[in-house]
Amino acid sequence: MAAPATSRWENVAASTGAAFIKMAETTGGMGVLFGQILSRVFAFPPRFDYPELKRNLHKMAVKSLPIVVVTALFTGAIMVIQAAPLVKRVGAEGLLGWGAGFGTLREVAPLLTALMISGRVGANNTAELGTMVVTEQIDALRALAIDPIAFLIVPRFVGIVVTLFVMTLYADALALFGAAWTGLGLLQVEPRTFYNGLTGGQLFFSDVADGLVKSVVFGLVIALASCHFGLSTKGGAPGVGRSVNATVVASAAGVFVLDYLVSFLLG
Amino acid sequence: MTTTHSPPEAAVPAPRAPGAVHDLGGAAIDLLIGGRELYSVFVRTLYYVVRGKRERGATVRQMFEIGNKSLFFVSITMGFIGMILVYQAGLQTRRVLPDFSQLGPTYLELLVRDLAASLGGLMLATRVGAGIAAEIGSMVVTEQVDALRMCAADPIDFLLVPRFLASMVMTTVLIVWAGVVAFIAAGATAYVAFDVPVQTFCNMSLVDWGDLTTGLAKCVAYGAAIPVVSGYCGLSTFGGSEGVGWATTRAVVNSSLAIIVLNAIISTAGLLVFGAK
Repeated sequence: MAAPATSRWENVAASTGAAFIKMAETTGGMGVLFGQILSRVFAFPPRFDYPELKRNLHKMAVKSLPIVVVTALFTGAIMVIQAAPLVKRVGAEGLLGWGAGFGTLREVAPLLTALMISGRVGANNTAELGTMVVTEQIDALRALAIDPIAFLIVPRFVGIVVTLFVMTLYADALALFGAAWTGLGLLQVEPRTFYNGLTGGQLFFSDVADGLVKSVVFGLVIALASCHFGLSTKGGAPGVGRSVNATVVASAAGVFVLDYLVSFLLG
Repeated sequence: MTTTHSPPEAAVPAPRAPGAVHDLGGAAIDLLIGGRELYSVFVRTLYYVVRGKRERGATVRQMFEIGNKSLFFVSITMGFIGMILVYQAGLQTRRVLPDFSQLGPTYLELLVRDLAASLGGLMLATRVGAGIAAEIGSMVVTEQVDALRMCAADPIDFLLVPRFLASMVMTTVLIVWAGVVAFIAAGATAYVAFDVPVQTFCNMSLVDWGDLTTGLAKCVAYGAAIPVVSGYCGLSTFGGSEGVGWATTRAVVNSSLAIIVLNAIISTAGLLVFGAK
């Protein structure tokens, strides 16, 4: 009678322990990968494939532009729609630009851009690397004495970090644009008033810089997670699907946790 | 003959390289076709919800898969988002007027009306959407879906409807839970960082039926959108393991976009129907 009860608790303990070990394994794997990447980037001369970097930047940044534009415009609109009752209650049309600008620049634009880029670029990158692993292309590279880290991983890593930084800049500008025109359409706040609220002295360059620092941190997490899970793919097509799933979940969780830490450190 | 004897000026001008208009047109046509197929998947899902023959236990299994397995992820991310939002709002408040009494009520109103549903929905689109697309995509690539068709079982009835029903229920449940987690985390942050008493923070005076209705409408809309969009992406997978990766990517991106667009629509509708207080 006692045996099943013990084994049940043993099961709980075992699965909890397994989950922690898996988490530690992932973190450790990402750390080791990060070290390997840094050792290639900061070698003299830097060892990575420049044409591959250019190709990846085109694929990641230029091709993601439409989705970032749409997301940013709608995000700005939503910020104003959500602020609308507050603005009407207080009657403070002049503060709309400041309120929407503060939230957008510091928090919402970097965060939502990171989520979209993690979905589009990070997941796609994992799928690509995972497919290469499953079809043994990485082993083929090694057999040809080509360092897969320098040839494949570093360009993708740098590509994702640069992409996210640049896309956050775009998203900042476009979200404010969307917010200004939603303010005109919904609350009859002139874009000029909005712009004055934005530049009226309550917002500083540090607010923009905070958002950009965040975007670089998010880029590091997304790039590491997507390369790590891509390289550790196992087991055919379902394995690639599982890896992609793990990447997006780990990126999203990492982005939120680091968002808090960075906000706290910068605040 | 005509090619050899035609004078050079009458020659057919060489086809120009496809330009921006060509790309734009191609993208628009793709979007249209995608939208039509998405619509057809949605309608067929609804049809089978009413008329389909259901496999026993499939919905409950999917509810476990979608709901229980996302609980940890949603709790972690929403807890952190609650802490960040109140921390940022507190900094902002301190810069303008050092009065923290409106922090809690305003935050709670925003949470109920929008943030719990939208941020929780984005998290679920990531977690659940990727899972559904990867699973169905793998089935398509390994020809299990074709096997289903051979057995006269419509994959939409057999695969998508249980996920659809499970997601409708579990998204709502998880979003309510996400709101609770975000609010508790926010209250704790306000207490620790800005010395706002818990009694002052837990003030529901600004939440009304309009906010609640808007929030719940969002839950239902997102719960329906995520499985349909990612199921469509999964079912249209082709081409081996790379295809599964592509399908998963598309599922995450498209369900997130669907949530952002639905949010803008429902928020505007809510504002117009219930008005600003």
